[in-house]
Amino acid sequence: MKTVIITGATSGIGFAVCKEMLGLDYNVIGVGHSKEKIEAAKMQLQNEFLKKVTFFQADLMQQSEVKRLAEELSQHLDEHCEGKLYALINNAGCVRSWYSTTEDGYEQQFALNHLAPFLLTHYMLPYLQKDNGRVLITSSNSHKMMRMHWKDIMYKKGYNPLMVYKQTKLCNMLFAYAINDRFSQSGVMAYGIDPGLVNTDIGLKQTGGLVRLIWSLRKKKGVKPEIPAKTYAWVCSQENTPQGLYYYLCIKKKYSKQVNRENADKLFRISEQLCGIKFGGYI
Amino acid sequence: MNVLITGASGGLGRAFAIDCAERGYNLLLTDINATGLYTVKQGLLRQYNTCILTKSCDITNDNDVEELMTFAREQDFKLDMLLNVAGIDHEGGFTERSFKQISSILRVNIEATLRITNQALLLRRPNSRFYVVFVSSLASLYPMPLKATYAASKRFLLDFSIALGQELKGQKVSVLSLCPGGLPTTQDALNGIAAQGFWGSVTTNKLEKVAHNTISKVQRNRHVYIPGVLNRSFSIAGKVLPAGFIAKLLYNRWNKAQKQWLVIDKKA
Repeated sequence: MKTVIITGATSGIGFAVCKEMLGLDYNVIGVGHSKEKIEAAKMQLQNEFLKKVTFFQADLMQQSEVKRLAEELSQHLDEHCEGKLYALINNAGCVRSWYSTTEDGYEQQFALNHLAPFLLTHYMLPYLQKDNGRVLITSSNSHKMMRMHWKDIMYKKGYNPLMVYKQTKLCNMLFAYAINDRFSQSGVMAYGIDPGLVNTDIGLKQTGGLVRLIWSLRKKKGVKPEIPAKTYAWVCSQENTPQGLYYYLCIKKKYSKQVNRENADKLFRISEQLCGIKFGGYI
Repeated sequence: MNVLITGASGGLGRAFAIDCAERGYNLLLTDINATGLYTVKQGLLRQYNTCILTKSCDITNDNDVEELMTFAREQDFKLDMLLNVAGIDHEGGFTERSFKQISSILRVNIEATLRITNQALLLRRPNSRFYVVFVSSLASLYPMPLKATYAASKRFLLDFSIALGQELKGQKVSVLSLCPGGLPTTQDALNGIAAQGFWGSVTTNKLEKVAHNTISKVQRNRHVYIPGVLNRSFSIAGKVLPAGFIAKLLYNRWNKAQKQWLVIDKKA
């Protein structure tokens, strides 16, 4: 049985992806932030599918937590999954109304939406390589019409929640691009997924003011999380490795011209520095 | 410029550290939480090229502070600036909290802050300007029911800093009190802001701006910094309106907010 890890699995898109993957008979490992939500999600999934679902708890914004999680996951994969991982679905994300920092002193949206998948993928890479694995990242069409803000990557000056969010989604695309550059030869492929506008609570968790107001209106127009979840399942379950980089509703989609090798390499170097790791791989 | 920051692994302390590092200042960071301190140091070293020293220390303890000062002397770290960030609060009514909790607010916010200020003044670089920042609060401007001890402790710092500034004027020491509204630092703080609804959002200050402006303002010899136009106009109301009336208004608001807070805490 193939193993998949899904972050942000207790609600919204992540939870729907869990259901979809369980339906396709994958061995599902979820990662969530709150213990209560994990328990609730676990109960609901196990009652519905009558299968064992494993959950891990971590606050992925903090790098120390990503490291701890990776150690626990590694042990679990070694003991129960033949040391192999078929797919890593980096889905956890957040929006913040204000500039706020993690324990490492990094801006929170940047830390959770970009650095966390970067670091977790780094730790999970050996397991992915053993199963010709796939890395999926929840990106967004909002990465278009956006450039990297290299001068001040964490927007310390002139924080604009939407711009910061859009940049992190561009980072996701650049990271997927960089992974393919470095590791597609060893069998690991990465994809950015555009879920479209989805009715989730992302804009309501620990936000305030305008962000909260706009999102509470906007989310009503969104589709149910079950619809984008199909795209994740589709990309994972294709026998022949899909060759595109960016998928929406199970169809390859055009991405921004900003997603190029120059930007991808630059972001990759900066992220390695900020995480204190060396990824390795060919370029 | 050499800067000592207390409470450096918390939200505001971190923001100050980042801003100082960006200005190229040398830092001596201290906090009671040694792991947090190490994490902050690592994050800063990965982003900026400055000298960063850390030493964990419980500033309510005489020996710990003595050790910190010895550490600074050994490293030949003469001080140009002290940022007193360390502070605590136990939210809730006076009778709902134990006296241990109440007295710990006074010990950290007042006694420990004065202890470290007293010691740091001995370590200042001779014949040059020295800057001290006290982190007071918007709460220091009025009597605040349900935050009575906290607000009063911050009032102490505000009055003390103005007096100290006058006292040390001739010795090239500038003292500033920062009186911010809500700051989006910890998850608790974010929940607190959310619980206050509209008023929470409008009195919340931008963390990165508050940190940056504070460091600029103390060097321009300002004495009190209240970030935000709305908060400044509130401070005028605090001077004009009778204290009893304000206390009544605030009691109604906080009573509601704290109930809401508990709901959000459970959800999160």
